[in-house]
Amino acid sequence: MRSIPVSAADPAPLLAVEGLKVHFHTRDGVVRAVDGVDFQVAAGQTLGIVGESGSGKTVSSLTLLRLAPPPAKIVAGRVMFEGEDLLTQSDKRLAEIRGRRMAMIFQNPATSLNPVLSIGSQLTEILRWHTGASAKAARERAAELLALVGISDPVARLRQYPHELSGGMKQRVGIARALLCEPSLLLADEPTTALDVTIQAQILDLLADLRQRLGMAMVLVTHDMGVVARMADRITVMYAGRVCETADAVTIFNAPQHPYTRALLESVPRVDHSYSGARRVLPSIAGRPPDLLHAPPGCRFHDRCPEATAECRQVMPREHVVAAGHTVSCLRRGSPGESAP
Amino acid sequence: MGALRFLLRRLAFSAVLILGVSFILFALINAIGNPIEIMLAETPGVSVEMIAALSKFYGLDGSFIDRYGAWLWAILHFDFGTSIIYNQPVADMLEVWGLETLKIQLPAIVLSTFIATAAGVVAAMKQHGWADFGIVSSAMLGHSLPGFLVGILLILIFSYWLGVLPSYGAYSTRNMFMDSVVLDGLWHMVLPVGMLTVFNTATLTLLIRSSLVDVLRQDYITAAWASGLPARRVVLHHALRNAFIPQLTYLGTLFGLMLGTAPVTETVFTWPGLGALYISAIQQLDYPVIMGETMVITVMLVAATLLTDIAYVVIDPRIRLA
Amino acid sequence: METRLAPPSGIWRQSWYRFRRNRAGVIGLFLVALVVLTAIVGPFFAPYDPNDHSAMMRGASNAAPGAVNLFGTDRNGYDVLSRGIYGAPTALAVGLGAMVIASIIGVLVGGVAGYVGGFTDEALMRGTEFFMVVPVFVVILAVVRLFGIMVVGTPLERIPNLNLMTIILLLGLFSWPQVARMTRAEFLRLRHAEFVEAARCIGTTPREILFRHILPNALPPLIVLVALGVGGAILAEAMVSFLGFGDPKSISWGQMLFFNYQSLKVAPWACLVPGAAIFVTVLGFNLLADGLTDAFNPRVRS
Repeated sequence: MRSIPVSAADPAPLLAVEGLKVHFHTRDGVVRAVDGVDFQVAAGQTLGIVGESGSGKTVSSLTLLRLAPPPAKIVAGRVMFEGEDLLTQSDKRLAEIRGRRMAMIFQNPATSLNPVLSIGSQLTEILRWHTGASAKAARERAAELLALVGISDPVARLRQYPHELSGGMKQRVGIARALLCEPSLLLADEPTTALDVTIQAQILDLLADLRQRLGMAMVLVTHDMGVVARMADRITVMYAGRVCETADAVTIFNAPQHPYTRALLESVPRVDHSYSGARRVLPSIAGRPPDLLHAPPGCRFHDRCPEATAECRQVMPREHVVAAGHTVSCLRRGSPGESAP
Repeated sequence: MGALRFLLRRLAFSAVLILGVSFILFALINAIGNPIEIMLAETPGVSVEMIAALSKFYGLDGSFIDRYGAWLWAILHFDFGTSIIYNQPVADMLEVWGLETLKIQLPAIVLSTFIATAAGVVAAMKQHGWADFGIVSSAMLGHSLPGFLVGILLILIFSYWLGVLPSYGAYSTRNMFMDSVVLDGLWHMVLPVGMLTVFNTATLTLLIRSSLVDVLRQDYITAAWASGLPARRVVLHHALRNAFIPQLTYLGTLFGLMLGTAPVTETVFTWPGLGALYISAIQQLDYPVIMGETMVITVMLVAATLLTDIAYVVIDPRIRLA
Repeated sequence: METRLAPPSGIWRQSWYRFRRNRAGVIGLFLVALVVLTAIVGPFFAPYDPNDHSAMMRGASNAAPGAVNLFGTDRNGYDVLSRGIYGAPTALAVGLGAMVIASIIGVLVGGVAGYVGGFTDEALMRGTEFFMVVPVFVVILAVVRLFGIMVVGTPLERIPNLNLMTIILLLGLFSWPQVARMTRAEFLRLRHAEFVEAARCIGTTPREILFRHILPNALPPLIVLVALGVGGAILAEAMVSFLGFGDPKSISWGQMLFFNYQSLKVAPWACLVPGAAIFVTVLGFNLLADGLTDAFNPRVRS
């Protein structure tokens, strides 16, 4: 784990998300998928966003580029990136930022490349659009990027179609596509989940290496504590559309405060633990995440929380700072309450 | 290589199909008995010898298999025999009337492809908006409005009430439009082509829209947006190509449907095409025309299916190299 | 793991709940109900006998719509409204008759192909492909005409509405391949579904697996197909009749168009009324099928 000293009160972080609310208006009612989320990313830093499926982490990351598909609706909040609020920019301005200043890699390499266009045309098109490069220059740059992400014989690959490549290769192409214009922030939504275990390690190594070489910041969305342990400088833990806890990676793993973070860490198998004797069984979190269509009042985690009190069932906790660079939303850790929405 | 074998297999199956149709058709016509006898049954003064001579002339003597073989051999050489009613070579008739049919059907299919694509794109991009609602509901209505009713309405409105377009035929017998044969021909094409276009466009629009809505939800489209490509590029280049592939099959089906219902279209507009020829042939039992035309239509349908297969191979790289 | 299906009432009740929320489907159901109602009770309310053409004797053919004849009279002096009403039962008989035939053949062929698989499957599916390339409409016209000649002088000739029945039979015979393909696809999908495997594990007989587990689950897409097919068959009969190959002894909308098309200019109502009837019926069945697709398959449109 790298240890870059980061202060939580960075004067001007690269990315600052404030009070983001994204709701899904369905026929059955409003689903509060993201319900008041804050986080920051400093230049060159990697933020891991961790949570179960349905915690709102993927919707949050898509919303940074205003890509969350309907019926998702951004209800409130700001996404400050390099000094401008992306949520209020024109579509034209946003298109200039997408792919050039902030780029994205996707979970499933099998579906995130267009099946009927060649690798070359998919890559050069983006370069030509953003930089106005000539066809020849764009092809050279695309081949250069493919080589950078570890694809052999890059010039020949440009002529190939996605179905001719393996899953790991496709993901490398997806990464190359994101890096074409050297963005300052890379969004990675579960970049290894759909891959074989051995390929997963390769892709993570590649991402770690590229991040260092290109000096870009990264938002890594995942459900896998192992992945964030390896990659992230700071970690934000999300549950049911809200942030539970944010701290640097070392603190999250060594001194977690929120009961959910603790439960999450306990359910990860560890080689330095012996699961013999009284602790033979890997603990799991009892119960299921709440149905966000009928979100319970109070803390979203209360019905699965071992420490929940009567107050937790009524009052929604607000984020508060427990130590420098470490925020927690839990009434039992001294968070102030928030009146019901 | 895979693609070539795929096409060869389709070709072989097509040949078997055509052979099958030809056999069933021949057996069917054969089952009604000697058409000469039926046609002359009520004509007084026809001797048995005359019927025998006529039967020999039209190749109706001999065993079933002999006659089938001879007929098959002949049509392989584009010899469809002689029409009993018109006393002309059937091959020549099919060419003349067939061109008239294609003259209204091909423009209709091209026009409707363009219109449907444009409408489908607009609807899919503004999904659940007013434009979408308008396009989808009118397409839904058009999809259920039978083609020949559209034709009847068009004639009623543009020929009878407004009096601006001709209601029947492919050419004027006198007073040509603007004294030009070409313009007069085009003038007569407007309503039939209009009807076939309306008929084709509605269903095609619905298909393209729903396919495009589906494609626009795919990850690679989100990825295209995330790369900062402009809307035009994302929709027309990335999405439309994928959305259009499934419609190729339908274009083949559409062509078959138009050709198959040509008798109805051409009856509505009194159009001198294959459909009208077919109707008169079965009414008057002009069996060389019935058989020749059914074979020609079958071959055209099979060819259309083969063409869509080839188009797939050209447009979809997954098939090309699979 | 559930080894049994949810009780059918559950599936159907849920589908009905989703169906009611689909505007197109509800309009379709309404239109279909309208046609069915017209077919059943319409004849009691028809202002004239559909075979009464006494108006011609009075010189009142091609009379415009008015108080005497609500939708006017046609060139033969028939009351257009009355004949239009009597066309409804004919249309439904054609649509339902053809689809009953098509469903029986289609489910049998598709079921066998999908359940047995292997060579049987290959052979049966090539057979259906054959039917799908044949220019159906053209063949139906020829067969109707040739059959009409063949029955002359045979006892078959005495069957009432023989011509209409021939048309129904032919439409059924040419519509089954789609049903067969769909049935096959569903059977293939369900043959290895987990609940079917589970039923097999606990020793359920093949017969019970087929009729209790597979067939009920294959039904929804088949119902959609049949709803579409009914509209299609009604339209096909209208076109056959419009070309003059219909049954002169029965009253159908296509026949009305055939008889009155020549006088379109002087008496457009005699064509517009049956035309509108065909349109409403076909639209009704199409919308109904659309709503059913949605109701049975909520994934398609979220």
